[in-house]
Amino acid sequence: MTLLKDLFQKKTLGGICLVILIIFLLLAIFADVIVPTPMVDGSLSKSVKDSLIAPFTNWSHPLGTDRLGQDLLSYMIYGARTSVILCVCCTILSTIMQLVIGVLSAVFGGWFDLIVQRVVDAVGCIPMMLLLLLMMSMMGNGIPQLIIALAVPSGIAGSRMVRSAAISVKDSGYCNNSDLLGGTAIWKSVKHVVPNIMPLIIINAAGSLGSVVMMEASMNFLGYGVSAGTPSWGALITGQGREMLFKAPWLCIVPGLAITILTFSACMFGDAIRDLLDPRLKGGVGSYNTKKLDKILRKLDASSAKKNKPNAAA
Amino acid sequence: MGKYVLKRVLLLIPTIFLVCLIVFALMRAVPGDAVDSIVTRMTQSGQTVDADAVRHKLGLDVPAAQQFFNWLADAVRGNLGDSFFQFDTVSNIIARQLPVSLELGILTLIFANLISIPLGLFCAAKQDSIPDYTVRIIAVIFMAIPVFWLATLVLFYPAQWWDYSPPVQYVSFFEDPLTNLQMFLIPSILGALAQAGMQLRIVRTMVLDTMRQDYIRTAYAKGVNQTHVMFQHAFRNSMIPVITVIGFSVGALIGGNVVLENIFNIPGIGQLLVTALGQRDYPVVQGSVLVMSIFVMIVNLIVDIAYKWIDPRIKYD
Repeated sequence: MTLLKDLFQKKTLGGICLVILIIFLLLAIFADVIVPTPMVDGSLSKSVKDSLIAPFTNWSHPLGTDRLGQDLLSYMIYGARTSVILCVCCTILSTIMQLVIGVLSAVFGGWFDLIVQRVVDAVGCIPMMLLLLLMMSMMGNGIPQLIIALAVPSGIAGSRMVRSAAISVKDSGYCNNSDLLGGTAIWKSVKHVVPNIMPLIIINAAGSLGSVVMMEASMNFLGYGVSAGTPSWGALITGQGREMLFKAPWLCIVPGLAITILTFSACMFGDAIRDLLDPRLKGGVGSYNTKKLDKILRKLDASSAKKNKPNAAA
Repeated sequence: MGKYVLKRVLLLIPTIFLVCLIVFALMRAVPGDAVDSIVTRMTQSGQTVDADAVRHKLGLDVPAAQQFFNWLADAVRGNLGDSFFQFDTVSNIIARQLPVSLELGILTLIFANLISIPLGLFCAAKQDSIPDYTVRIIAVIFMAIPVFWLATLVLFYPAQWWDYSPPVQYVSFFEDPLTNLQMFLIPSILGALAQAGMQLRIVRTMVLDTMRQDYIRTAYAKGVNQTHVMFQHAFRNSMIPVITVIGFSVGALIGGNVVLENIFNIPGIGQLLVTALGQRDYPVVQGSVLVMSIFVMIVNLIVDIAYKWIDPRIKYD
């Protein structure tokens, strides 16, 4: 709760971005209730008569329609659902993988660590985009496949950061005490290491939220993405958006803007969370924000001067 | 130092082996193999082929484990095999296409540094002022714009409005430098935007981090003026971690430009991989991933060693 309060008071922009993210989340959850033309049997209603209405000209289709006469606003909201599902699932899956691999590798150490780290190194060296393409062509298109393909490589490669944080925690006094008291490695990891590296985990997870949307769109562009018919912003840009660039520019511009806004909010929110949680960046003396520090010092000076005045008079 | 380098180099060997193994396994797990695609193509052009004969000719009739070690044994001797589709050796194809990707990557880095370092210093100097916030927000916007979307808009609208489009036929830099640079200008600037956004934030944080050090305070206390402190003390010391970040992003810039290479029709390694993957051209995919991974590993190693060499405070582990 204090974190939330801090977020809105100290990092207003981060707070606004959180609100935008929540709006996207609500749009995704209540898509069926909100949209002007709901999906029937997994597809939006099409009418050739209403095709290619420009945005803001017809209020039954506020964002216009595409070539098939599908309402663009409804498509965008269902696309938000796809993006949000991907974002949330990928982030959770890759964070869990990072935690398990990183912490176990750090706590067990020795040969286990050496072997696991070689695998992590190997995955980290293969260009990410290629790994994604390989996994997608292995599993075929679709949302679950996309979640696995996006989450597994980043989960493995990202575990290195978790491992180095966990190593610095595991050599501390309280972890040694836990060993002396007969705690097992698993107990030590769950009870002592994980809670102590939690801020880093949250920072990482918040930071990776935005990249998922972007990667999904890029994969769609290369032909490996959600299965045909699933509403997705990336698929709209690559499909009709590119084909109708001159006849119906809104089909390309609107989804692109949506991706930009969602990624931007996720990035700014991740930044704000990092600034609030990272002990190096925390407020107070030594924080980067020297102007605020000056203000506080000036206030302190002023108040001490006031206190001292009566004494001086006496 | 020597011991540390030796240990790192020795550890590269199992990593490279694992890279080959992972890519080989993934490639073989992809449904539909090269033989199917060759047979379909031949039958379409009216020739009759025996699938088993093709399989034998490509060396795909032996168990997968044996195929892997055959390929690995050849690769260790420097022979990456022949492409299934391109009537050329994999080494020749990579030698032709890797420099193109390298050029794009290097140009992208140059533009990214030209944008990010001055602006990062500016932001650090004007910390928490309105210009600082504006530049940082713009940096995040650059990171948030999907590059293929922007590239599409940049490629098509100017073509319609002003009849301008970058050359689509690739010419080598040594043949015609001007046309070559014209072709690479727009994609490298587009690629640089996101990279610059990321770098700018790191430059700013690192400069601010350095500005809190004791020697900076000492410099101020001695009465040195702000410009001198910024450039002589803060900038030079804060560049060390920035160089590391740039080094680590080299790999991503060379292998990750698949989208830009695709849109601007640049025959780089990314294009090669996407085509080869679609055709199930096993030797090309395996060979180019091997070369790229070794490249990335060597760059990372150099960056690591250089980092420790530049900054004596860092211990070897």
